[in-house]
Order: sequence, then C-alpha cells, then structure tokens
Amino acid sequence: MAGNSENLLSIRDLKVEYSSGGKIINAVNGVTLDLPKGGALGLVGETGAGKTTIAKAILQILPDHATRSVTGEIFFEDRDLLKTPEEELQKIRGGDISMVFQDPMTALNPIMTVGDQIAEGIHLHQNKTKTEARQEAIRMLETVGISADRVDEYPYQFSGGMKQRVVIAIALACAPQLLIADEPTTALDVTIQAQVLDLIRNLKESQDTSLILITHDLGVVAEICDHVAVIYAGEVVERGTLEEIFDHPTHPYTVGLFGAIPELHKKVDRLSPIAGLPPDPTDLPQGCYFAPRCPRATKACAEKHPSVKHLGGTHYALCDQI
Amino acid sequence: MALIEIEHLKKYFPSSRGTVHAVDDVTFNIEEGSTMGLVGESGCGKSTLGRTIIHLLESTDGVIRFNGEDVTHPSKHKLRELRENMQIIFQDPYSSLNPRMTVMDTIMEPLKLSKKFSKAELQKEADKMMDLAGIEKRLRMSYPHELDGGRRQRVGIARALALNPKFIVCDEPVSALDVSIQAQILNLLMDLQHERKLTYMFVTHDLSVVRHISSHICVMYLGQMVETSETDELFERPMHPYTKALLSAIPTTDIHNRTERILLKGEITSPINPKPGCRFAARCPYADEQCAQPVGLHEVTPGHFVSCCHVKEINDL
Amino acid sequence: MSKTETKKVKKTAASYKPGSLRYIWYKLRHTPTAVIGMCFVVTLFILSFASPYFLIDERSGQPMWQYIDMRNMNALPSAEHLFGCDEIGRDILARVLYGARYTMSIGIFSTTVSLLFGMLLGSIAGYFGGHVDNFIMRCLDVFQAFPGILLAITISATLGPGFEKIIISLGISGIPGYARMMRANILSIRGSEYAEAALSINCPTSRIIAKHIIPNAMSPLIVQTAMGIAASGLMASSLSFLGFGVQAPTPEWGSMLASARNFIRNYPHLCLFPGIFIMLTVISYNLIGDTVRDALDPKLKD
Repeated sequence: MAGNSENLLSIRDLKVEYSSGGKIINAVNGVTLDLPKGGALGLVGETGAGKTTIAKAILQILPDHATRSVTGEIFFEDRDLLKTPEEELQKIRGGDISMVFQDPMTALNPIMTVGDQIAEGIHLHQNKTKTEARQEAIRMLETVGISADRVDEYPYQFSGGMKQRVVIAIALACAPQLLIADEPTTALDVTIQAQVLDLIRNLKESQDTSLILITHDLGVVAEICDHVAVIYAGEVVERGTLEEIFDHPTHPYTVGLFGAIPELHKKVDRLSPIAGLPPDPTDLPQGCYFAPRCPRATKACAEKHPSVKHLGGTHYALCDQI
Repeated sequence: MALIEIEHLKKYFPSSRGTVHAVDDVTFNIEEGSTMGLVGESGCGKSTLGRTIIHLLESTDGVIRFNGEDVTHPSKHKLRELRENMQIIFQDPYSSLNPRMTVMDTIMEPLKLSKKFSKAELQKEADKMMDLAGIEKRLRMSYPHELDGGRRQRVGIARALALNPKFIVCDEPVSALDVSIQAQILNLLMDLQHERKLTYMFVTHDLSVVRHISSHICVMYLGQMVETSETDELFERPMHPYTKALLSAIPTTDIHNRTERILLKGEITSPINPKPGCRFAARCPYADEQCAQPVGLHEVTPGHFVSCCHVKEINDL
Repeated sequence: MSKTETKKVKKTAASYKPGSLRYIWYKLRHTPTAVIGMCFVVTLFILSFASPYFLIDERSGQPMWQYIDMRNMNALPSAEHLFGCDEIGRDILARVLYGARYTMSIGIFSTTVSLLFGMLLGSIAGYFGGHVDNFIMRCLDVFQAFPGILLAITISATLGPGFEKIIISLGISGIPGYARMMRANILSIRGSEYAEAALSINCPTSRIIAKHIIPNAMSPLIVQTAMGIAASGLMASSLSFLGFGVQAPTPEWGSMLASARNFIRNYPHLCLFPGIFIMLTVISYNLIGDTVRDALDPKLKD
C-alpha cells in the first residue's frame, strides 16, 4: 500500500521489540498514524508508553544492540523509511526530518560554538560553503530570537531556555518538512515554556513545517497541535483532531487522563486518578492492555484484544465497550 | 490560629561570585490545618525557604515561630522535638530513599530513633504507616529500586508521617510523577490532611496542582515574595505582573476559551548581590525608574498582599 | 514438608539487595568467566602452599623449589621436570608454584592497605570538609605527583627489600586514588535527599555516616579494589624484577624473570613459565574484577 498523498507521514502497524536481559520488551505494538502536510500531531502518553520509540523508529535511530525487530511501514512522502538504505536515510535525517530532544543541556556539544553547531547541518545537507552556512546560521539564530552577536559563544554561556532555542535553530536550519519534538519544554520553567511553545508555533507557520510533538502534558498539546494520538502500552488507544479528542474523549484511558489533571480554571474537590499502574512491557495482558485499570472493563475485555472503532471524521478509538 | 509564623526570614549563601540571597526578607503565616502553596520558578528560593523553616538549613536572619513559640535558634533538645513535629516530603522519590534499606527499614527508622516504641510496637506502628500511605504489605521487604515512582513517593510519605508531625513541607512531591500517579498521590495527601489535621506547605512550580490543594498561595520571585492571598482570590484577580504572566503561561486543556498570553522577555537571573528595588523589573512590561526604589509587600485589598509600586495603575484600582 | 520446599526455591538475582556482598557472590558464582578466574586463583593458592610437601627431591629430602642439582642446569621440560629446570638446576614448576603465594598475596594485601587508608582519609576529608579536607587532599596531591611505580620504588628503596616492605610501599602508593574516590562519593551522597531525610528524622550524625553514607559510597571502591588487585600484583612482580621486592633465592615470579633474563636467547623456558603464570593470574583477577564491577554498577546491567 502506498502512502496517502495528502499525508506527509503515514505509519502502518508499526511494531518495535527490544530485548534486554533475555526478556522481550514490546515497546510499540501496532501503531497506525497519519500526519497531514503542515499538520501538528501530538503524541500523548505516560512514561514508558512508547512515544519516544515511535519517534526514533521514524528517524531509524533505534539503538542497534537492544532492538530486536522493527516491523510495519513508515511512509514519508511515498517512501517507506524502514526499507530505505542507510545513505539515503542520512540525507533525510537532519535534512527532511529533524528532531528536538527533551534535555537541551545534553543535546548540544559543549566544545563547539552554537554558530558552528547550526552551520554544521547546513553545510552537510545543503551543499553550501562554510561562509554561506555561517550566514545562514546567524539568520537562524535571529529567527529563534537570539541576537547575532552571540553566534561565537559556547553552550555554557546560554541559559536553559536559550539552549533549547539553539537546539530548535539547529533542527530547523535545513528547513525540514517534518520536525519531531520530544518533550521540548519539559525541562523548562512555565514562563520559558510559553516562550518556546510560542516560538515553535510561529516557526511552524512561517516555514510550513509539519510537527510531531511528544509530550505527557495535555495542556501543551492543546497549545500547538491540531491532531492528537493518545498512546498507552505501545498502542494508539485514541486518535483524532484536537477538537474530537478534547471535546469528546472516548477511550476510558483518555477520559481517565483528563480526570487526573488538576485544572487551573475550575476547582474540583477530588481528582479521579486512574487506578493501578501501566502494564509491564515484557509481560502484556492477554486482552486489552488497559483492561486491568479500566473502570468499564468486562470479562470479555480481559480475554480478547479490542479492535479499532471509527467514531466519525478522523476519530478512532481502540475499545470494544464504546 | 497560625501554626507557623515567619517574620523577615533571610537565608544567604556565600558563593564565589558573591552572596546568594536565596531567601530575602520573607514574612507570612500558615494557619493550622491549612495548606500554603508556595509557587515560583526554579531558582527562586522556594525549596530553600521550605528547608529553612524546618531547620534543615540554618536561617541567616529573621524569626520562625511554631505554635506561637520562637524556634529560630532551638537548643539541641528542642530541635529534636521540633523535627518530630515538622517533616518534609521530597521531590524526587528516586533519590530520597536510601537504596540499601528496605521499605520496612525506611519507615521504621524514624520510629526507632524516637525511642518511644518497644520492638513489638515498632513493627505494628510501621505496618500502620504503610496502611495509611497505601503501600501493600507484600512490599515490606522490597528495596526502592524494585518500586515504581508512585510507590516510592508513598514510602517517603509514610516515613514523614511516622512521627505524627503537625506540619509537613511538601517539596514538589508530584512533579516527578506521571499524571495518573500524580492524582493518586495528591488525593492521598489531601485525605491524610483531613484525617490527621495536618498543616502543609506545598512547594511547587505547577500552578494547577497548587490551586487544587492549597487554601493560600505565596508567589516567589528571586528570593522575595511578590504576591500572597487566598487561592481563589489570587487565581481570579492576580495583581502582580509576574503572577499574571505566570498564570497566563500555563498551558490549559480548555481549547475553546483561550486567554491572551503575556510573554515575558528574558529569563530569571540569579539572586547574587541583588540591587535594591523590584527584582522583577528587568522582565516586567510595566517597569520604569520608580521600580528601582525598594518596595515591600503591602495589602492592596483585604487579605491580598502585593509587592509592586505600580499595582494600582496596572489593576485599575 | 512446606519448610523444605521454601528452602529449595531457587534464588534469583532480583532477590538480593543490589550492591550487597551477597549479590556480588551470587553474580560471581553465576558468571562462567568469573568462575574460571576463581578456580584458577584458588587452585594456585592451594598448590602454592601444598607443593613443598609433595614436590620433594627423593634423594636429599629437600623441597624441590630450593634443591639445587647442577646436573639439571637449564634442563628442558621433561617428564621428570615438567617445566624444566633453571640456571642452577632447580625445578621451575615447583618454583613457580611456590612463588605464587607472593605475587598473588602481595596484590591482595597491598590493595587492602590502600583501600583501608584511602577510605579513612577520603571519608574524613569528604565529610568534614574545609581545612581538614584541604590538608589531607594537598598531602595526597604530593604523593600523586610521582608516577605510581616510581613512588613504589622510592618507598621500597627507603624501607629495603622484603615481602612486608613491598606490601607497604605498594599500599601507600595506591592510597591517593582510593581516597579521592571515597571523598567524591561521600560529597555527592552527603548532598543527597536521603541523607537530608535522615537528618530530618533526627538521625544522629554518626548514624547518618555509618548507615546512610558509607554503605552507599562503597560500590565504586569495591569495583576499584577488584581491578586494583591485578594491577598491584603485576606491580609487585615488576618491583621484584627490578630488584626491589622479594629477593632471590625466594622464587617470586618477578625475580625469577629477572634472573632468567640472561638466558632468554638459549633457554627461553626459564622466562616463559613465570611469565605465563603472571599473565594467567592477572587475567583471572581481572575476570573476577569485571564481574564484581558488573554486579555493582547498575548502569552496566543491560
């Protein structure tokens, strides 16, 4: 099957298994996702749900020694990334797709000036001379709101929020078609988070970049995404547009997530947490992975794995009780 | 009655670049049985303030009163007694438990040290604490590395509650946890407060959490208090420009009622040898020459204190 | 019935306290390379002490490691003398076995000396800080300004040759490394939240140090010790080779090499066998050390 031409990225039935200490870790278990051109998709889920693994699978940067198998299809502009040879992937990585990591403190090379780090990618991917690349780097720094005279400074001279801006400048330097941002603001304070989110949103619009935003924070998703996929135990349990998910959360896990976060603008007496813990990825339950924690689970849920239900529009949920 | 009264408390640290004014002239009270939310960004001195109040750090200047009694410089004997009444729950459940002690050992340690219990009572008391904090009995002999974040935090809570304290400083107790676990821990803390008439000081950077759990809120910026009032009042009528920006910066899940965002320029600086005057002035959209004058917390409307010389103009009062 | 059943339940790695000595022992027993290393070391030790009682020259009744038989000068390996004989006709196998006690025990004893004093100085410097810290660490800096082997040579030249002296000199030259490591660990654990938590529940200082800080600061030191034993065993042989350690006619491997060196062109077996045994011993210690490190360093677990 070829990728839909309206979608920049289509993932079909992606499965990733790691092996560790003789055990098989089912990190991603059949993920299907679509990202329209120019869209912004939010991947929401808790620690260990497999969000980062999905991102790494797209870029094909899964750790070799621990990865046992990767199956499925990842179409990026009608090309299956899982079948693309390494040399071409290197052109895609950093050129067409780039990634922003969670921790700006470790994502930068401490002994290279920020200007050189931005210019490096431009030089490598766009066949530009060093001087041209440097000019471009200065322009990128200004785009992310850092003045040009700081181009020859080292990462330690920047604060956390500024570092994350530099990381974003590096990621966007080659005008990628797709930016994957893995928890880009988790390590930052709220006022700085607001600045960075604002920056990402503006750049996305001005450069027409598509975005995959990985986060555990539903609020951040609401800020910049137009599509949402909720990930639980390596599966997409619910996906749809922002309105579909936020106005009509349907899967019990999504409903649970909304109930568990304290809201700034309304005061509730008691939060309703989701009982229990996420399943052990080395030993997933037989039926629905969420059944042991689900308030609506029946006997059948624990035995049979649920199928995907279409709820109209682009709204899908993985549950048999709807 | 106020259980904790803090007056002009200061905590300075020497550093190679000058004196760090981590907590600089802070005054507030915490009523018995209530929760004071202490909000601010990293580096604003909120954790230092919490630790200074419970005497994990020694204060530089000022007065700390507990139950009406001046306990700023306690005697050794008094300090022991104080520590049984004032406890702390830490942010990181991964580093606040000794990796070589079992759940049982960790919870029993404060009981043992208090020397109030016989051996048989120790076991019973520790079991009671585990029940209270919702830790399964089968985990008694487990080590911290075998537990998930939520359970570890429960162990930390059980340890803090073991001596039956009156006052607990919660230092970002849920910020390292996932949302679904976070809600479990918040509910547990609220239930415990109800059952045991606890007084909390809840230190956090997460305003949504603080709104949920606190009755009063203090907002800190660079070692100073910029605004304090009752929770609902503060959230409905924030008056200090920093509080306003902080509130507007929080991403909300309400996708239909977007409020206009106030973007602050720059970032928080470090409180080393600060100049007199408003410390927020460098990032404040309303700052002018007047802001270089020292300004203190003053009551703007009943019970609502703000430290800003332009508060009247900004809020049309 | 049920009692015997619970006893039979096989213990797994997870049932031990991480970093505890029992866990290290469990890992050692269940890692093939470590088992090989331990078997070699233990067998050699036993043979070293037992061999003088059964490797005896029949005619003179002298133990073979010191019986001189000029007729067998530089004899090649044979059924009678498996490793051959040295330049004055002593059986090399017997000498290698007898000498094992030195190289192997010098490694262990000198590392113990370094570890104990290093721990003590490091803990004092780390916990008390300030001037005490400064004084101790500057003294250790002076020691570290010399290359390790040079320092050991200087100390043994001062003390004179001999088994105990070499232990002392190697022990002293190893102290700064352990002290530094201990100090760094103590510093980081002193600032940890569980040390703070202990303070908040009225834990006396002595108990905080003994129960919360020291046990958690030990892991990297044990790893260092396990690897250090091999290094100082090798160092002991080097010193003997240079004439500072255990002196001839005592068959220390290093000194055996030193005296065999003159004959290496014509009779290489004189050098070969002590050399092989030095190598095998160092490898065995390293195999054990590797496993200990794996057991103690959680980052290396996967």
